[in-house]
Amino acid sequence: MTSNYAVMAVTLIIWVGLFVYLLRLDRKVKRLEEKK
Amino acid sequence: MWWKIVLFVVMSWVIIAAFVYPAPQQGIGEASRIFYFHVPQAWVAVLAFVVSMIASVRYLRKGDLLDDDRARVAAELGFLFCLLATVTGAFFAKVTWNSFWNWDPRETSIFVLLLIYGAYFALRSAIDGAEKRARLASVYAIFAFITMPFLVFVVPRVLPSLHPSDSVVDSSGKITMSSTTALVFFPSLAAFTILFIWVYWLGLKISVGQRRAAEEAVR
Amino acid sequence: MASPKSSYGLAAKSLAVLRKDILSEYRTRYAINAILLFGVTTLTVVSFAVGQIGLPADVYAALFWIIIFFSAMSGLAQVFVKEEESKTAIILKLTADPTPVYWGKLIFNFLLLTLLEVIITPLYFVMTDVVLHNAALFFTVLILGSIGLAGATTLIAAIISRASIKGALFAVLSFPILLPLLIGAIGGTKKALGPVEAPFAAASSELQLLVSYAVVMITASVLLFEFVWEE
Repeated sequence: MTSNYAVMAVTLIIWVGLFVYLLRLDRKVKRLEEKK
Repeated sequence: MWWKIVLFVVMSWVIIAAFVYPAPQQGIGEASRIFYFHVPQAWVAVLAFVVSMIASVRYLRKGDLLDDDRARVAAELGFLFCLLATVTGAFFAKVTWNSFWNWDPRETSIFVLLLIYGAYFALRSAIDGAEKRARLASVYAIFAFITMPFLVFVVPRVLPSLHPSDSVVDSSGKITMSSTTALVFFPSLAAFTILFIWVYWLGLKISVGQRRAAEEAVR
Repeated sequence: MASPKSSYGLAAKSLAVLRKDILSEYRTRYAINAILLFGVTTLTVVSFAVGQIGLPADVYAALFWIIIFFSAMSGLAQVFVKEEESKTAIILKLTADPTPVYWGKLIFNFLLLTLLEVIITPLYFVMTDVVLHNAALFFTVLILGSIGLAGATTLIAAIISRASIKGALFAVLSFPILLPLLIGAIGGTKKALGPVEAPFAAASSELQLLVSYAVVMITASVLLFEFVWEE
């Protein structure tokens, strides 16, 4: 695996993780909004 | 909801293409790929400052603490992106011109923006009382914003640019950007902007929720 | 909040504020002492460290403004901080409109800065052996730079005077905002120190920067000051 692909893979993994985190946060905020 | 999916796809595309496509600057080689991430980060850092400034102006005119929340959340995000932009820029500089920092106009402006954000938070933490804090922080945000045109337009004519940093960037800038470069750069710009808007919106909702909960607890 | 109609104009009111500040400063000499002591100390350190070494004009220009900047940081906030500390701020707010207060204190700060420079500048040339080639340009840059410096920092002084923990806040808030000014001032001074032909032409961008900076920052301060001043 050439280093370019390695960097790309790592970056992609970080992005997926960040995105999933934001999605969960988004859902939590929505649920709290509905409760009020 | 759909725009989140679009964001995910676009950003993923950007990450893949940035490394798979040929490097944007042949002379510098692989490291020039940073350009796809560095420039959008700097753009978001400035965008966040603009949002913060506008919210500050609105606070001074209407006194609604929600505007102060907006200013603060935008500033927090702006600070983060500014930090990212400064660091990625330093690495770009090291690879391109063999030194991490040189005080050329662009580098100076992004660093000053970083200092402004830092000063903004230092000021906020030094004031008690929500209204007073909001008012003084708003004045500072606006006052600091006014120096930006000097840094962007006037200083470049004064500071010697040892490295023609702008001409190098401009060679992959609007006029001579190749179509493959543009295919990655503009989606990146859009993706980072949408990411900023989303996280800003989330941060704002949480902030407002926290403030309202604190107000309820006092009653 | 409408203020009672007065037959005194803006200039007269500002001068009244200025006179009050000069008198009270004359009695305590707190800010003058702070700023002069700091200036002389820093100058001594600079002279001791690099005074006799033949450094390029750039370095002497930069060091000069470093001395001025840090001295300003130690003394220019006094004009508002002393009002808060001696509890006279409330009275001033009740009796005067914000704009004359701002102008009065701006001029006070400018005078304080000028006093500092009158003492530091000759000493600087004596203690570092640097040659002044273009005096006219040097003093033009100095005056314009001082106006800009006072203009930008007076509003910030007002802001931090209302904060609970002051500490290094004044320098932290001032530096990013002053950077364009420092760039222009140091650049202009550099050209004034070096043997440059047609100095004013050579320094035209710096001079433009200094003038526009002073105008913009003072105008913005006048507009924003009332928000800082109100209770």
